[in-house]
Order: sequence, then structure tokens, then C-alpha cells
Amino acid sequence: MISEPYTTHYVRFDDDRCTGCADCLKVCPTKALRIRNRSSIRMVDQCIGCGACIHACAAGAITAATREPENIGQDHVAIALVSPVLYAQFPNAMPKDVLLGLRHMGFHHAIDMSIFLEMFQFAAVEFIRRNRISQVAPWPLISPVCPAVVRLIAFQFPSLLPHVLPVLRPVALMAREVKERLIPGYEAQGRQVVLYYINPCPTLSESTPDHTAASRQLSVVSIGINDLYPELKQRVDKILAEVVPFSETHLEFETCTTGNAALVAMSGGEIASMKIEKSLAVPGLRETIRYLQKIEMGLFGDVEYFEFRTCREGCLGGVLNAVDKYVAKSNVHRMLHVYGLGRRIPRNTILQLYEKGRFQTDKSLPTLAALFGNRKPALSLEQMTEIEQIHDRTTGWCCGACGAPDCLTFAEDVVRGQADLDDCTWISKSKTRKGL
Amino acid sequence: MPAGSAGWTDDDRPVACPAAQREAFNHANSPFMASLRKSFFIKARDFAHAGEASIHIQNLLKSMHLDSALVRRIAICSYEGEMNAVIHGGDANIHVDIETDHLTLEIADDGPGIEDIARAMQPGYSTAPEEAREMGFGAGMGLPNMKNNSDDIRIECEPGQGTRVHLKFLYDAKREFT
Repeated sequence: MISEPYTTHYVRFDDDRCTGCADCLKVCPTKALRIRNRSSIRMVDQCIGCGACIHACAAGAITAATREPENIGQDHVAIALVSPVLYAQFPNAMPKDVLLGLRHMGFHHAIDMSIFLEMFQFAAVEFIRRNRISQVAPWPLISPVCPAVVRLIAFQFPSLLPHVLPVLRPVALMAREVKERLIPGYEAQGRQVVLYYINPCPTLSESTPDHTAASRQLSVVSIGINDLYPELKQRVDKILAEVVPFSETHLEFETCTTGNAALVAMSGGEIASMKIEKSLAVPGLRETIRYLQKIEMGLFGDVEYFEFRTCREGCLGGVLNAVDKYVAKSNVHRMLHVYGLGRRIPRNTILQLYEKGRFQTDKSLPTLAALFGNRKPALSLEQMTEIEQIHDRTTGWCCGACGAPDCLTFAEDVVRGQADLDDCTWISKSKTRKGL
Repeated sequence: MPAGSAGWTDDDRPVACPAAQREAFNHANSPFMASLRKSFFIKARDFAHAGEASIHIQNLLKSMHLDSALVRRIAICSYEGEMNAVIHGGDANIHVDIETDHLTLEIADDGPGIEDIARAMQPGYSTAPEEAREMGFGAGMGLPNMKNNSDDIRIECEPGQGTRVHLKFLYDAKREFT
């Protein structure tokens, strides 16, 4: 019997492939997964789309809720939104060749994100510079670039929400610009426009509740890099066969990205070109949680900016990438040699936009908290005491046999009425021993 | 100031929560006046694991949906208390007592005790050893931070017999345990 794969906003589960190994339980930062009868059940509300369970699932039962690329551009205008992570998947191709390959695939436009990354970095530095005097936001500020981190903060560290840098994310800047400058022309002709976001990770999907205001009225389709890669690789290779190889020519007028933007794909790359003295880059889910806990305890008040990424090696480690993250990293290094670092947009132009408030985030803190905050009912003191008592009766080894990620969560589930005390093999065994 | 249970003059004490509010906390339809105690052990000079107890406390309080700003205040205090114990030597126990209307944190160590509590409360005054300062700790902000982030602080110490720091936190009016 084939059951319908079940999905959260970001992740799809295939119960037929689930072996019940419980690996995914342990890695979920919000403890949204349980195993019952050899298949996982999930608490959709608690999924933040970090992709940790996809990384952990050896059976391949968990995949990203992205869409396979089909009929691109056939009955609509297809616009590809391309992050520099995609360029890092091609060792020999120049970014412009990758963009050309996308257009050969049927996309009408292939839009490079790097200029928006540059704008974002500028706005971030400007905000931090002004914050030194105005102190409107508390130190340390936290990068909003990784959406899974922002959701993690809203869910687990709501007191740190004021630390999230109130600047629009590069993707949001890009979507807004495309909507304002590119789409009206097509709409005047009555043609349907679809934005395709080419994703290194499952953090953005069609049903994601946090679509930026700019892109909400549009249909945005999320495609994983890995789904697109085989065909794109062929197209790019074909283009490469006809041109001089990348390493031998670098013509300024052919440039469509910069070293700065290429760097952002990598952990530490966002802050590397941002000229903030006291900034730290922390990649990886466990480390991110650790450091958020430390910030909550009052540490790092002397740091101005934190770049958190839930994936190791940053976006290059995203679960939807096509090539190995370390290979991709060396490709980024190669791009850096060719392009070097530096900005393209003149400071004054961006400064004017900044003054107009063009970079201000459109989501207030209460909105973020309402969208992604923890919605589980609060526990009473009585319930907490009961949880403690049940927890004392378990082994504390967190074996996962009951289907919960750890003994404490199991005790909580029992008290909340979502699990049975006898699900714990240890407790039911000791009952049998006592002849109960 | 005598070296005994000296702590705070009454004037320094933060204003406690108003009577009406307090009544709301203890209101009559809670026949079950439970309290929950959790204790954590802190090893002296174990800088590698310093902060673990505070993280446990953080997670515990979050699962109870305590107001996030309050959790943060408690986390800051427990971390500072934990670091004090780690830096100044003496194994310590940190106890959290969750009551229906307030929460107390007690950090009890068998360290050398505080010689001059009034001076220790001054920001920047530190008796931390060089070793700790090299690691970036011991800036003399521990007790002042704990005072700023708690609703009440009381320090008991006897030279040579360890220190007990009692911290009290009042829940905001919205939150009450029944």
C-alpha cells in the first residue's frame, strides 16, 4: 500500500521508506518528530525547515518539499532567482555561463543575486554603524540571512528576537526588485509570471508562511539545486565546449557576480566582506543553538554581529546542493582568485536608498513571534512536577524506543496525553517484574 | 558592615510587586500550592563545562513557557552565579525553586567566602585570579549583573565557609501557576 507522503512546510516524509531507526528524532532542534508504528509523525507547527532530518535520514524517507522542475517557461514567463551557491556547483564554468545554461533550459530570465547581497551587506554595515550611536537594537545583532536561524530564534529564543538585524534579506530584496521592475511589463501583456527560487536548502517553499510581502501575490516555486542540476550541467557543458575555458579569460564586462557574493555561500563569507570589527561566524545547527544559548545568558555583549548558519560550511552545506560541500568550497576559492573582493555599487547610491528606508524589514518582531513562535500550551507547575516524576522513572539514556527524542520529552508527551507510560520499555518492564 | 549575613540595606532593595498583583498570584482557586526544586552541581575551576547548569535551567523554564524576558534574566543570573563559583573555587550547588508566585535561585558554594560584600557589589571590582582573567572572565560584573537582573538578592557568607546567594524573581502579572 502506498501512503501519501506527508509534508510540513519544508520537508516531505515518505512513510513507506521509513525504517523507524529514530535518527531523525535526535537531530530535530525543536523536537517536532516522534516515531509511532515504524513511521514518523510530525508536529507541523514546530518545523523550522532547518533540514537536519533530511541530512540524518539514511533511508531516504525524508526529502525537501521542493518541486521537480517541469514545463519551465512553457505557458508562462519563468524567472530564475539564482544565489551564488549555484555557481559553486560548477568547477569550470563562469557564473555567466551558468546563467546562460538556465536560459537554455527555458527560463526567460536568470537573475543573479550578488548585487542584492551587496546591497544587503551595505545596509547591514550601515545599520550597525548607526546603532553604535543610537543603540536602538541590542548587541550582538544576529544575521537574518539564514531563515532557519530566524525561525529557530522565534521558536526557542524569543527573547533574542530584538537582536535579529532589521534589514531585508537578500532574497527579499531580489524578489521585490523583480516584482517592481521586471514583472509589470509582462503583466501589461497579460502573461503569467512564475518566480523560481533555486534553493540550496528546504528553508523556502511554496507554503512557507514567511514569503516576503513583495513576493506574496506572485507564484513562487522552490526548486532544489539537486533537482535542476543534471539538465543544467549538460547545458552548461555544451556552452563550455564552445567558449574559451573560464580560467584563461576574465573579462570585466562579462562579470555578473563578484568575489564578495561568491564568498557569501560559504560560512564566514557574509561577514568577511562586511568591515565590522567584532563579528563572529558560527556554522552548524548544534553550534548555532549553543551560541544562541550563550547570548541569552548575557555573553558576547561585546560582539556586534553574528553570522549563524544552520548548515555546516554555510549555504554550501545545504542539503539540496548537487556537489560535495568541500568541492564547492574550493570552487568558491577559485572564483575568489578570479574576481577578488570589492563592491560594484557606488556607496552614495545605496546610501540614498537606505535613507529612504528601502532596506527596512517588513516583518515586525510580534509578527515573527506569531508566525514561528512556540504554540504548545504552557505547562503548569503540577504538570512539571509530574514530568519530573516520570522522568525519574525512565533510564535517562534516551534510547528512543518509545518514539520520543529523549526521556524528558517522553515524560512531557505522557503528561500532555500524547503518549502512553507503557511506551517506555524500561517502565513497562519494571512493572512486569513487580507483577503488576 | 558585619561579615555575617550582611547583604542589602532596605533602601537598595528593588520594589517588590504591588500587593494587588501578589494577591492575583496566590489567588484562591489554586488549592495545589506546589513547588518544584531542581538542583545542579557545579565543579570548581571547570571552565570547560561552565554554563551547562544555566543551559539546563534555561531549557527547563522554557518548557514551562515562562515569559521569555524573565527566562533571560534568570539565565543571566544563573550564569553569573555559576561563573562566580567556578572562578572563585569551591564546588557549588545551584538550586532552582519554582513556586506558584515566584522563582528563587540559590547558589551555594564552599569557596572562600566574600570578604567585603559591599565592594563586591560594585561594578568592576574583582578578586578573580589572573588565570581566570586571562580567559576573559572575572571582569567584576558578576554580582552587579545579578542584582540588576533579579527582583531581590540576598547574600549569606561566613569567611572560609562558603557563600550562599539567594535570588528572587517575580513572575509578571500575566503569568501564574495554578
